[in-house]
Amino acid sequence: MAFSSTNPTCRTATTSLPSKLHHLTAQLSPSRLPVNSVTVKTPSLISCAVTSQSMPLIEKDEEAAVHLRPDSFGRFGKFGGKYVPETLMYALTELESAFHALAGDHEFQVSVNQEFAKELDGILKDYVGRESPLYFAERLSEHYKHPNGEGPNIYLKREDLNHTGAHKINNAVAQALLAKRLGKKRIIAETGAGQHGVATATVCARFGLDCIIYMGAQDMERQSLNVFRMRLLGAEVRAVHSGTATLKDATSEAIRDWVTNVETTHYILGSVAGPHPYPMMVREFHAVIGKETRKQALEKWGGKPDVLVACVGGGSNAMGLFHEFVDDKDVRLIGVEAAGFGLDSGKHAATLTKGEVGVLHGAMSYLLQDDDGQITEPHSISAGLDYPGVGPEHSFLKDLGRAEYYSITDEEALEAFKRLSRLEGIIPALETSHALAYLEKLCPTLPNGTKVVLNCSGRGDKDVHTAIKHLQV
Amino acid sequence: MVGASLLSEASVISMSKGKMYVTQAELATALKDYVGRETPLYLAQRITNHYKNSKGEWPEIYLKREDLNHCGAHKMNNAIAQAMLAKRIGRKSIVAATGAGQHGVATAAACAKLALECTIFMGRMDMERQSSNVTLMNLLGAEVRSVDGSFKDATSEAIRHWVNNLDSSYHLAGAPVGPHPCPTMVREFQSVIGKETRKQATEIWGGKPDVLVACVGNGSNALGLFHEFVRDEDVQLIGVEAAGVGLESGKHSATLVTGEMRKVKSLGHTPLLLEYPGVSPELSFFKDIGQAEFYTVTDQEAIDAYRRVSRLEGIIPAMEASHALAFLERVCPILPDGARVVVSCSGRGDKDAAM
Repeated sequence: MAFSSTNPTCRTATTSLPSKLHHLTAQLSPSRLPVNSVTVKTPSLISCAVTSQSMPLIEKDEEAAVHLRPDSFGRFGKFGGKYVPETLMYALTELESAFHALAGDHEFQVSVNQEFAKELDGILKDYVGRESPLYFAERLSEHYKHPNGEGPNIYLKREDLNHTGAHKINNAVAQALLAKRLGKKRIIAETGAGQHGVATATVCARFGLDCIIYMGAQDMERQSLNVFRMRLLGAEVRAVHSGTATLKDATSEAIRDWVTNVETTHYILGSVAGPHPYPMMVREFHAVIGKETRKQALEKWGGKPDVLVACVGGGSNAMGLFHEFVDDKDVRLIGVEAAGFGLDSGKHAATLTKGEVGVLHGAMSYLLQDDDGQITEPHSISAGLDYPGVGPEHSFLKDLGRAEYYSITDEEALEAFKRLSRLEGIIPALETSHALAYLEKLCPTLPNGTKVVLNCSGRGDKDVHTAIKHLQV
Repeated sequence: MVGASLLSEASVISMSKGKMYVTQAELATALKDYVGRETPLYLAQRITNHYKNSKGEWPEIYLKREDLNHCGAHKMNNAIAQAMLAKRIGRKSIVAATGAGQHGVATAAACAKLALECTIFMGRMDMERQSSNVTLMNLLGAEVRSVDGSFKDATSEAIRHWVNNLDSSYHLAGAPVGPHPCPTMVREFQSVIGKETRKQATEIWGGKPDVLVACVGNGSNALGLFHEFVRDEDVQLIGVEAAGVGLESGKHSATLVTGEMRKVKSLGHTPLLLEYPGVSPELSFFKDIGQAEFYTVTDQEAIDAYRRVSRLEGIIPAMEASHALAFLERVCPILPDGARVVVSCSGRGDKDAAM
């Protein structure tokens, strides 16, 4: 069975496709299309979006669907998709086309694709400061050694050294470039901790774009330094008072703005959440983290990491580190969410542990909801993890059993914050501290010499005031 | 820069095993993996555009991104190197003085990494104005001791403390001032800035910079950038000091320009790191032999530059670096078309937000 693409930027499949893929296209027939996904023009023509995932070797028909991350409808298994108002569908499709044309993998390198890649690489190097080091944390490793001197080796991927102090800028810079190519002059974004807001305001200043940041009023109070930075960089910061006045409400407001101003505006979503193509796109733009890690691991010890650990709020830094290694079955993937006051307290943000499947901000994923399907208010000491949802790809990896997810309380995170500061002279973001705290539980179980790479996703200068309130310093 | 073999060599020479010299490889690893070097030489396109004249001519402005270092300033280059040295010669504790706190924070971080005790002396008023930096130092495990007076007095106190504990402690100077070998050592450790710049300039445009601009407090970041190019006659060296509220006012820190030792009464705007009544003997020498030129910039000009660079490039520069950036307003109109200017962006400006 042959099908042709309605999108000129996609590959055209022909009858020379392996027979297993024909079975796959049958699975994607119109009758099985979920509601609110890509509009199909005729029953025999299916719009095919090229994913950055190269065609995998498919062993079993039943497993065919699970290897596409995402499939052409932006689904990771049953998660993901595009649950958005009709007004946004065109913008999302346009964005997806632009992404594939400029930034996606192409069998034949077209010049515009190379040009974009070259420009982005230059900016990541000279502006953002990449590549970020893979740092051997000697004293931290020492801390986890057993009395007999055995223990794992802990490496930190230093995203804290990026310009603006977190991994967020990798995605912001790439999306701003994309927006410019699309001729958009106005940028909007949501922000929780403020790191994504600062990153967005930063790139807008750099590219001369108008910038509006939506931030929950409660978060604005917690992260006033970041609010100042955004304004200094020329952005307008709009306080969101609705709901719980935190990240999820800021996201809703940003989406509302985008619906109204979609022709002139690009929405730089800050995480691997939201409607397709965002989870895929944001992941791709952060994937540089994992790519560099593979190269650096090879240089440093001639092998791969054994375990990858990262904190998970929306999930962008984790996907950025994990993505490169998802198909390496011998690499363990561990995500760490916020348990706030404890999983039984009801005051946490441990979506993958305590959540149920539902739709939030345009995507199907795990989320924290009550029996009436209303979003429950999450809590975490760290604003960046204080989100009741999670990226759909994480939900998928969890259900597949490919990645493991645990959670860490506020108190444990604060201890880890202090610990890394004292042992390595690196003050980690409170978000990152959650991943660091999990080492206390993980390391005693690891065999001698295990190579652990932890994503040090941000620096903690912004959290100093929160920390001194809670710690005896 | 650090291949697998270099790293294995470095890991064999363990810090805790007896007396061995700090190898270049160990320092290189620390600078790369811990500090985050090399720092980019970044073409600031929008600042460059800003300085285009009516004839469509302009100099090209490059920023040497010391703001991207761990702890946010060039200070770490020197702190980590000296801390490693101190550990290697068997010292258990470090003592240092800090003005704004950048050197204190860098020193505290390096000490944490190397398991050294750390005592930082800081002027009482500085501690109040820079309480965030004090908190950072405490978080990093350092003890911050308050001194009546300013940075000058904190320095005296630190040296006094060191002299009383010569066997076990090490005075980690942040400035290329004081008795030999301090100025030379600090300059050497900061000279990585200039060395990288030469290499990057060759890579990017196949030549050398025409003009180097750096702010001058005590002179560490300026010397770090200049040193590599001191023998290059065709590279112009420009240092920018703080004129505070104006040279006529007497409330400034322009040691080299006014040629006198002056105590500064800050109105709260003067960037503390440039608020030092002395300056590097080497820069004094450069001034006398005409090797480098020195100018000043007022508080207001610095603040304007702080805002300008934030808006145009999305880089919030430290108030100190803002002095160097402010000087571009005066020098760019007189530079020939295509002149390449490298400005030392010596630190990031988050710490100056309160101001």
